[in-house]
Amino acid sequence: MSKFMVIGERIHCISPAIRQAFADRNPEPILLRAKEQLDAGADYLDLNIGPAERGGEELMQWGVKLLQENFDNVPIALDTANMKAIEAGIQVYNRSKGKPIVNSADAGDRIEYVDLAAANDAMVIALCSKEGVPGNNDERIAYCSELLERGMERGMEPTDLLFDPLFIVIKGMQDQLVDVLEAIQMITDMGLLTTGGLSNVSNGAPKHIRPLLDCAVLAMAMQCGFSSAIVNPCDKRLRETIVACDIVKNNILYADSVLEF
Amino acid sequence: MPYKKAEQKFSGKINVCEIGVGDATISIGGENSLPFLGTEGFKTAVGIAISDTTGDWSDCFGTIYGDDLKNPAALAKAAVEKSGADFLLIKLESADPNGADASIESCVATAVAVEAAINVPLVVEGCKNAEKDAKLLEEVAKALEGKNVVLFSAVEDNYKTIGAAGGMAYGQKVSAESAVDINLAKQLNILLTQLGVKSKDIVMDVGTAAAGYGFEYVASTMDRIRLAGLGQNDEALQMPIVTNVSNESWGVKEAVSTLEDAPEWGDQEARGIGMEVTTASACVVGGSNAIIVRHPESAKTIKALVAGIIG
Amino acid sequence: MAVKGLDIFKLTPKTNCKECGFPTCMAFSMKAATGGVPIEKCPYISEESKELLSEATAPPMKSIKVGAGDAEATLGGETVLFRHEKTLVNKNLFAIELSDALSDADVDAAFAKLQKVNYDRIGEMMFVEVVAVRFVADAAKFATLVKKVADAGKIPMIITVDAEVAKAAVAGAGAKAIIMGATKDNAAAMVDVAKAADAVLGVSADGIEALHDLVEEIEKLGYKNLVLNVGEASIKEAYANAVDIRTAAIKGNDRTFGYPSVVFANKLAPANTNLQIALASAFVLRYGSIIVMDEMDFNAALPLFGLRQNIFTDPQKPMRVEPKVYEFNKPTGKDPVLVTVDFALSYFVVAGEIERSKVPAYLAIPDAGGYSVLTAWAAGKFGSTVIANFIKENNVADLTTSRKLILPGKVAVLQGDLAELLPEWEVIVGPNEAMQLPKFLRDLQA
Repeated sequence: MSKFMVIGERIHCISPAIRQAFADRNPEPILLRAKEQLDAGADYLDLNIGPAERGGEELMQWGVKLLQENFDNVPIALDTANMKAIEAGIQVYNRSKGKPIVNSADAGDRIEYVDLAAANDAMVIALCSKEGVPGNNDERIAYCSELLERGMERGMEPTDLLFDPLFIVIKGMQDQLVDVLEAIQMITDMGLLTTGGLSNVSNGAPKHIRPLLDCAVLAMAMQCGFSSAIVNPCDKRLRETIVACDIVKNNILYADSVLEF
Repeated sequence: MPYKKAEQKFSGKINVCEIGVGDATISIGGENSLPFLGTEGFKTAVGIAISDTTGDWSDCFGTIYGDDLKNPAALAKAAVEKSGADFLLIKLESADPNGADASIESCVATAVAVEAAINVPLVVEGCKNAEKDAKLLEEVAKALEGKNVVLFSAVEDNYKTIGAAGGMAYGQKVSAESAVDINLAKQLNILLTQLGVKSKDIVMDVGTAAAGYGFEYVASTMDRIRLAGLGQNDEALQMPIVTNVSNESWGVKEAVSTLEDAPEWGDQEARGIGMEVTTASACVVGGSNAIIVRHPESAKTIKALVAGIIG
Repeated sequence: MAVKGLDIFKLTPKTNCKECGFPTCMAFSMKAATGGVPIEKCPYISEESKELLSEATAPPMKSIKVGAGDAEATLGGETVLFRHEKTLVNKNLFAIELSDALSDADVDAAFAKLQKVNYDRIGEMMFVEVVAVRFVADAAKFATLVKKVADAGKIPMIITVDAEVAKAAVAGAGAKAIIMGATKDNAAAMVDVAKAADAVLGVSADGIEALHDLVEEIEKLGYKNLVLNVGEASIKEAYANAVDIRTAAIKGNDRTFGYPSVVFANKLAPANTNLQIALASAFVLRYGSIIVMDEMDFNAALPLFGLRQNIFTDPQKPMRVEPKVYEFNKPTGKDPVLVTVDFALSYFVVAGEIERSKVPAYLAIPDAGGYSVLTAWAAGKFGSTVIANFIKENNVADLTTSRKLILPGKVAVLQGDLAELLPEWEVIVGPNEAMQLPKFLRDLQA
């Protein structure tokens, strides 16, 4: 097994500072957050430029080049509702450290994101949903199959699709979390890779409880085969949990000072 | 269906480490595939081992080196000439407090004399007493400043002294010794890095065993270290591996027993070489970036093996 | 390799018709992959696809039996590239090469050496298993020599590209002899010979692509009892081919290359014994199944057989030595007794150091479960009772008049208990590391 892949989520237009930086084409705040995440062990950086209906293509290219030029061609997940912007970003993307990830496709309106990834030899995050959160695992697996078929028909390697089972919020939907874990296990058993936005799990919980929930879910998900996540790598507890689970799963070698490296 | 090569693609790459200075510089490592399977020109360097204490050495070395055996500088020169080795290792065994307990000064003088006598890079091996080696290799590092030698090796109990002196103050290379313990190999690299030694200045002495004497642990340790460094892109295990097989190979009964001890086994020298060549070759395909042997014939054979595999 | 649900899914019609009783083709495929439902439940998977699937469930590398009777051995059958991933199951065989051009005296000398290099190492007999005989000119002499090899209990490897010569020779070679063998020019004729004689057919070609094509051709002729020559042109090519062939089989799912290999180290390094040893060592680790040398004397056999024994041990089951009292440096009934565990590595290290000390001594090895000293002690397999019982049951007190019993330093804690259980003995704590034994023993002797 290869080790758990961390996709850093902190360059996101939902943050006012980042939103402003995109508007001003100001590199500083973006580079700062990129560096923090990479220092904390992020493997990929998510670059969310928002809906970017106007000027999205130019903005995505600017962002991709900014990150790759400053951080040794760091691999990036290109994240926006503007497909043209993703395509533009891939045009200037350097693949030496890993394929670009298209974020994201689903089995509904956004199924064409799979086509986009296939046409550009990219990976794609495939949400196992059509609209909103799927009701049960039959739905999850049906959407998973649909997305997989779509990709394979267009020549993708199955392992270039990262299936997101959609984590549900504990507060309110607690009884369904085991289903998500089961879905991860089922998808893994098919020889496929998974990912997901983990922090949704603890949405609405008090600040001191959130890391505990996130870490517990992550550990349990990793036992089911969960292979990557879109998270805040600067969350020390989460990062340490990932390392510890990677060791338990024999994905990385143990050493006494493993956490300090 | 026509043949399609099943490529093992790796994301990681082994560091390049340069040893020696000027025209004599050699570089080891740099591969991003398992040994000899890539296109990056992987080449194992071959070193010849000498010692300042050769009383226990098999008689064949007396025949090869004559009186030079008692004079490390002369021995060094002869060893490089006779073996054609890419570099030389001098073991300062006399420093051993449980042995001759020679002074640091005299051992350092030996290392300096040996360095002056050869035109290839130098590896300086201590006496395997952690406390003495700390002081000894620190002083060797100081005396040979600017020569870019390998201090062989730092262990958990002395890595701070050897790392600080060798890897930082005097610009030498530091070898981290882990005795066929993969977790310790990673741990020492982390500790040295945290101390401030640059990754490119660290090599790994992961240890060895003679063929037939638990070599399975050596083989699996090397495989796992390389797969972690290349496949998992584990930067704490991407240092080149330097392996000295000479002590183990010439220390087992297959090499030690004289013709009188074991008449049916035949020529003792041939047995020693056979053991050394077998052990060294297994390390070479396992991933050692530099391999160190004692007999000039072993060195020539391993050079021929490496040249052959590279083609 | 287990079939993944995905492999089955690819073969389904992907219509989600539900006739199998599952909501989707994917759900069915996943269940089928775990064996929870037979593939036949899907009415739309074609016979051809089912065959493909059974192919996919077959082991990646065939196990090929060579030799008959006591000489029979199994090659291949590996499922991993590295021993730590699981285990390597079938050790490589060593071969030497003779020919009909040799004088009778040379042949006799070679057979004498085969007899001589034959010894026990930790419960396993070490000897050359295969004798290759290369055809040069004299077909009658060739066949006689092949028969002599079989009669001597070795596995014959018949080296000729002439199908008639092979046919004549294989008649006296016994079952599962190796014919080396098939080339692109003689494949059909050689397959007939091998089939008729139930022989293993060696396949040689110029380059790896040509070898792949030729194996496919031979499989189409209906023969799958094969071994593959990694090439004799250069070390570079032989090494790359050995690795690539095995990697294709294990990782690339390429059944065409799922066969054991043959490496002619003698042809890669003609008349250079040490380089042949080096090559043999490299190919023990990297996927040689039969390794051919010019000859095998003790200088090659001692290290190479030892290496092979190491590499092909099961990582889950460490090698153990037989529990008994071992003698070192010709003891004379008045020398001290050391104790250590039956874990082969511990035994070897301690034995080596006692030998190095030149001090006559006995080494008592009780059954300690095959663990190292501290592990065995922690597991209760190397406690004072175990040691005391061993010393009593084996009448060690009758072997020597010395009453010095030396414990490994790491279990110094046992000293008190053991002294109580063995009151007539002086229980001495030895050094922590075997390395310190020679000095310790010499001091004890003084």
